[in-house]
Amino acid sequence: MKVINKWGKGFFLYLFLVLIFPFLPIDEYYRSVAIIIGFHSIVTIGLCLLMGQAGQISLGQAAFFGLGAYTSAVVTAKYGLSPMIGLLIAMIIPAVFAYVLGRAIAGLQGYYLAMATLAFGFIVQIGITEWESVTGGANGMINIPQIAFFGESELRMYYLVWALVTCVLVFSLSLLHSRVGRAFRAIHKSEVAATSMGINVRSFKLSAFIISGIFAGLAGGLYAHFMGILDPQPFGLHESIKFLTMVVIGGMTSIWGALIGAVVINAISEILTVLREYIPFLHGDVDTIVFGGILVLIVMFMPEGLVPKSAAFLQSMKMKKKAARGEEDDQSMERKATT
Amino acid sequence: MTEFMQYFANGLVNGGIYAIVAIGFITIYSVSKVINMAQGEFLMLGGMITVALIGMELPYGVAALVAILAVTLLGIFLQKYIIANVKKANAISLIILTIGFSTLLQGAASLTWGKDAFSLPPITNSAPLSIAGVNIAMQSVWILGTVLIILVFLWFLMSKTMLGKKITACSINPMAAKLMGISPVKMSMIAFGISGATGAIAGIVIAPLSVTSYDVGVLLGIKGFSAAILGGLGNPIGAAVAAFLIGILESFGAGYISSGMKDAFAFLILIAVLIMKPSGLFGERSVGKGGL
Repeated sequence: MKVINKWGKGFFLYLFLVLIFPFLPIDEYYRSVAIIIGFHSIVTIGLCLLMGQAGQISLGQAAFFGLGAYTSAVVTAKYGLSPMIGLLIAMIIPAVFAYVLGRAIAGLQGYYLAMATLAFGFIVQIGITEWESVTGGANGMINIPQIAFFGESELRMYYLVWALVTCVLVFSLSLLHSRVGRAFRAIHKSEVAATSMGINVRSFKLSAFIISGIFAGLAGGLYAHFMGILDPQPFGLHESIKFLTMVVIGGMTSIWGALIGAVVINAISEILTVLREYIPFLHGDVDTIVFGGILVLIVMFMPEGLVPKSAAFLQSMKMKKKAARGEEDDQSMERKATT
Repeated sequence: MTEFMQYFANGLVNGGIYAIVAIGFITIYSVSKVINMAQGEFLMLGGMITVALIGMELPYGVAALVAILAVTLLGIFLQKYIIANVKKANAISLIILTIGFSTLLQGAASLTWGKDAFSLPPITNSAPLSIAGVNIAMQSVWILGTVLIILVFLWFLMSKTMLGKKITACSINPMAAKLMGISPVKMSMIAFGISGATGAIAGIVIAPLSVTSYDVGVLLGIKGFSAAILGGLGNPIGAAVAAFLIGILESFGAGYISSGMKDAFAFLILIAVLIMKPSGLFGERSVGKGGL
């Protein structure tokens, strides 16, 4: 629990906000938005470990999300297992895929890695669509059971999802302060240097892949049970790019950034939906334009992302304050000395 | 046998398009070490702008020319005002940047023209050619002809002209090129312009055969990129061969195995090659690191 101590106030503020959110006097619709944000956060935290920490890239994260969703949906709706076991399997199957894929492409870097993960994403989406006997093909699946977490209600689902987000968050933060996290960052800086320090680059890259796959699978499983219906549409490149945008806007190097990124992007989507009612011109994929624009602008002007940027800003403010106070202290000391 | 030849012919046409996209990628990559994920969007815009202009009662030729010019300028804009301004860019941030740009273009296209699919009239309205029972639409002949002309033109440009030598110099050693008075930035702009133009042409010639809509660029771009990687990034001839290979294998896969899996074949081939021989089928110096 070193992490909680280290993050102190920030972490408790986060817990407070999460606990109190359902009781804020706002439309109940926003509770389900918050649940969706929870799913996205779990995925982006994993993606952040992979991209920001280990310095890899995945353009196929939505595929793991989809694998998790379909796995859980199929074992519960078709084979009658309980959703909790479904969720467990929804983490195992993507982990296996991530292991096989990661194993195969662990030697790739940069563009090649991007391309391989992107291709993987397409293959999974096409596979889901084509395997009609199991997944229902393009028509999708219906009647996926809800998760019984002390009863079935949206409020309980909210707390279940955010409890899991918190677990994922604490796990990832602790990981960063462990040997594994340091190894990830070393690989990010230089694979050669990391190797020469005795870090097994391949196996650490692989573990980053698997962890991010497990997280995405878990989020997918939750998504399936929350929605109750599934079709292959939301598990393609578009969604992968959305996850990428969330991680990039929050700041790739920060786990909190991944969380904030998920919140910001969903908030933008909601605002656009509301705006669309008033401005009929915004009929097409306005959010696509906005997300694309965000990606371009962030890389151009704020490559470190929101959270590290504002953390650095706060730090410099604090330093300034401290410096000012320091001067005052010196003066008062002098005054005391003279009197 | 007829069936076999028919699939082969279809694959050849698709492969030709992938070849143009792949060479667009390589033209940019060899000079600036940037993989332009918005390459597919150049094709989409080429087709869509032509459709839109024809809708405004402009003659076919004029519409096509304006579209090509517009996309060329867009390519130059992308290099000059966006990519050239990115500081400390590594491969990952360049991917993110160009993916962002490509999503932006897609969104803008869907906002401007909606999500419907459009079609262009074929360039010539004659009956399909029939060679030994294999039917080939005249447009396919146009496509293959255009592909060949572009390939020969690019080959000529790169190996026989001063401009090509300058571009090659920048791709081999930007520093030395700079010392010889060649501006690598300018050469990258030209490279972006060239791949914008070739992309737009490809987008226009395929629009009559397959429909065009705001999202056609994604798959075309990715398959072209697959071909570029298969051929070994930076090797135009290898890329063209790989592109035809992908097109033909894909066509056989769709014909003999399952048409729904058509797109998966290209990607399976790609992953297989990346695993077994990451330097591409025809070998290449680069290992995909990139970065400015």
